[in-house]
Amino acid sequence: MHEFTITTYLVEALLDLVKQKGSKQVLEVHLKVGKLRALSVEQVKFSYGILSKGTVLEGSNLIVEEANGTIHCTTCNYREEFNPEDPLLFHYGLPRLDCPNCGNPLSIEGGDECTITKVRMTLPSDAEGTVEAQ
Amino acid sequence: MTKPSDVITASEGEVFDVELEVNILKENQRLASENKERLHALGVEAIDVMGSVGSGKTSLIKAVISRLKKKHRFAVIEGDVTTTIDADLIASEGVPTVQVNTGKECHLDANLIKKALDKVALDKLDLIFIENVGNLICPAEFPLGADKRLVVISVTEGPYMVLKHPMMFLGASVVAVNKVDLAEAMGVKPEKLMDDIAKLNPRARAVPTSCKTGLGVDEVIRQLGIG
Repeated sequence: MHEFTITTYLVEALLDLVKQKGSKQVLEVHLKVGKLRALSVEQVKFSYGILSKGTVLEGSNLIVEEANGTIHCTTCNYREEFNPEDPLLFHYGLPRLDCPNCGNPLSIEGGDECTITKVRMTLPSDAEGTVEAQ
Repeated sequence: MTKPSDVITASEGEVFDVELEVNILKENQRLASENKERLHALGVEAIDVMGSVGSGKTSLIKAVISRLKKKHRFAVIEGDVTTTIDADLIASEGVPTVQVNTGKECHLDANLIKKALDKVALDKLDLIFIENVGNLICPAEFPLGADKRLVVISVTEGPYMVLKHPMMFLGASVVAVNKVDLAEAMGVKPEKLMDDIAKLNPRARAVPTSCKTGLGVDEVIRQLGIG
């Protein structure tokens, strides 16, 4: 349900960017979402279709890239990318975060991204084609 | 982080890829930090209380306030989709309450808390409880600016509720496993829920409680460090 709210943030951020760049049309938007974000990609896309209507974003293709996090053991320094949907590593999701190497508790790094990484848009003739990352 | 990129000159109507890194949740995070700074400047501690519908969040807040109200000055922000039932319950303890009705939203966000804080005499307070909307998923996505997160679950939610909702526990400081007086009738072992919490988030302190009998309320106070 919170996907609609978060997609509202996405649309606001994009409209800010479009205004700043002077674009008349957006064709493609790339969004990176961490798998620990508890966001349903399907619902984000559905909400985007509704929220982008009547704006320069209408009809643009929202491409969502899902990102895994990294597990890190502070005891033995074991580090590995992990997929919270991997049933072999984490039974039923991620409820058992023991280090596969030494059995001590793990900490999680990343996997919580919610970031616009690229926008394909038309630009006016005097524009610079990139913006500084924030 | 600045990404290296070339400067391109585009003609009108030409299509370009603009590479960037904009965290769309940062506005909520910014407001949450503002809330936290505002409270800290006045020496007020805030505790975000989360958990499912009917797990006993309001009852536990009420029990804690009842024990500590002579020692600390409290206020409570109550988040619900609608009604003032919870705020009225808490107000019976004689502490100021603000009801936030989210209407359609399933969670509180930092902006709603900012507005709610405007309605409280912050300079006359030591502690604020913020009771989130009953929900095990959405509230975890929206930091509010609280110092600690208290998650309240209950044995009536079944033996697998921790395993099925891991996100809610990752950021928890203290977890109350409530309604343990009903554990036998439910056929649910509170130790199993506590064990699941410990494995999922070793930093969280899990406490068996019963707001009905008063069991564990003092331990929740101790673990929250507000005694």
